[in-house]
Amino acid sequence: MPSVPVAAVTAESAVPGDAPVEAAGPADAAERTIIGFFCRECAYAAADATGNARIPLPVTIRSVLVPCTGRVGPLHVLSALAEGADGVFLAGCLEGQCHHREGNLAAFDRVVFVQRLLASVGVEPERVRMFTMSAADSPRFIAAAREIDASISRLPRLRRR
Amino acid sequence: MPLTARGRQILGTLPGVVPPTTTDGIGCEIVRHEELCIGCGRCVTVCPTAAIAESSRFDPLELYDAPVGTTRGALGAALRQIARHEPDGPFEVPPRVRTFRTIEFDGGRCLGCGACTRACPVGALTARPVDRFTIGGTAVPADGASSVLA
Repeated sequence: MPSVPVAAVTAESAVPGDAPVEAAGPADAAERTIIGFFCRECAYAAADATGNARIPLPVTIRSVLVPCTGRVGPLHVLSALAEGADGVFLAGCLEGQCHHREGNLAAFDRVVFVQRLLASVGVEPERVRMFTMSAADSPRFIAAAREIDASISRLPRLRRR
Repeated sequence: MPLTARGRQILGTLPGVVPPTTTDGIGCEIVRHEELCIGCGRCVTVCPTAAIAESSRFDPLELYDAPVGTTRGALGAALRQIARHEPDGPFEVPPRVRTFRTIEFDGGRCLGCGACTRACPVGALTARPVDRFTIGGTAVPADGASSVLA
């Protein structure tokens, strides 16, 4: 009798993010860590909808809720990379639909800035990406999450000193 | 205070005084602490004589030299940890990134009015009163300037 509920509970309590993902890339792909900065107005709602629909997301992604992607600066991204992340992505509102006027456009340019900074010291600039989606666009969120996961999995782990 | 057009006119009427063609030594001396500069360009927008110019090029090496405890210093420390080699050199900063500009200062055009020191958000510019003016090639103590003009 006890074994059945335990198994049932484990299956039930599994969060969508914990579900295994079809392996893509090297064998150690699951060891990667990707930090996602999600804007509260759009991307986080889309991520929430994904979770409610129980659609599995790549296990590598750790989410950070921000009020607007415009709050994320170069230091947030670089600290994440320096302290263990292999990739960072920002997910915000669609262009022209930022709830804080143009926070996502500022974030776009900051991402470009960090990419150039990384390129100048020999780190792959594609470790930092930006995606946009509407609050209702859960499929686009899933596509973005899988795309960044696949591209980071293809890269070697980020080495630190 | 900077020398106004009226002040220049008065100086010109004095016997044996050649009004200075540059504004050197008039007003305060602007002391720059480049290691504190975040490159926001606010000093550029307030400068009345365009003595300060900004360029959108940025050299990552500046981050390595920035003092500990500042945002730039923290960025430099993080970058050093993940860097594979020394920075390649300056690159173009995208338009919406308002900091990380390179600020160029042209001392010859500076009036010493101190507008930039009030505009600077991080105290990278300070105004120091000069102890002597140069009037027509003659150094005059700042407190004695009124006697020359009287």
